[in-house]
Amino acid sequence: MAYRVLIVDDSPAMRTFVRRVIDLSGFELSECFEASNGGEALDLLRNEWVDAILTDINMPEMDGQEFLRRLSQDELLRSIPAIVISTDATEHRKACMTSLGARGYVTKPFLPETLRAELERTLGVPCD
Amino acid sequence: MFFVETLGECADPAEEPPADEIAAGLTFQGEPPGALLLRLTSPAARQISADFLGIDEAEVSNGQTSEVVRELANMICGSVLSRVEGAAAFHLAAPQIVPPSEEIARNLSNIRYCVRLSNGRLTVNLGTGIPICPQPTQSAY
Repeated sequence: MAYRVLIVDDSPAMRTFVRRVIDLSGFELSECFEASNGGEALDLLRNEWVDAILTDINMPEMDGQEFLRRLSQDELLRSIPAIVISTDATEHRKACMTSLGARGYVTKPFLPETLRAELERTLGVPCD
Repeated sequence: MFFVETLGECADPAEEPPADEIAAGLTFQGEPPGALLLRLTSPAARQISADFLGIDEAEVSNGQTSEVVRELANMICGSVLSRVEGAAAFHLAAPQIVPPSEEIARNLSNIRYCVRLSNGRLTVNLGTGIPICPQPTQSAY
């Protein structure tokens, strides 16, 4: 099965990199959308359904915390699993993002297999 | 994730830095506050950027190199702080391209790490205590 994923990060290089890592990991994508902040992501999600969201925290205009807060308040969108990708590996930040509805957390730098495992766990993909 | 092969630590980290460096700096707030400066020789920065983006080195623009170096500084800073003070809360400011200044580096002296790469070197300086705000520059990349 192939999945539709949204990557939210203000860095175009990071978005390219995340997409590349997903491809390298062998995780099958049918469609990959991109947004540069939470507001842009919410706009996109009004028109496109995705299976999973990968989001950064520190972004201009609407950061990852506010984005997750708004997602969790939206009856339709809150069922979409969101995974945070961040350099911040502190327990404080992980707990904060989890309390806002994040279903997964990947710390940069990461390996392709780490991201794949987190996507599969979050999406409930059965093991091979 | 940057697919970089290192050749060991620099023999003499205090030696005169190469002229063709690109640097990114960022400050962080928390207990303790501080700043990090990352310096990379330009050929190394370009190669790392190409690897990061999955494109040929000749296709990498200066803008892309700057972006990847900023991202690398962000990752190193987050990683170091999480390991040293994992229970503490930090807020990292957005990394900026700054002049590869020895003066700034000398002020960030709590941690200094210099590693040789196949086409240059990578140097990290991290200082805590009084936050030092590197001034952004337009001239380097």
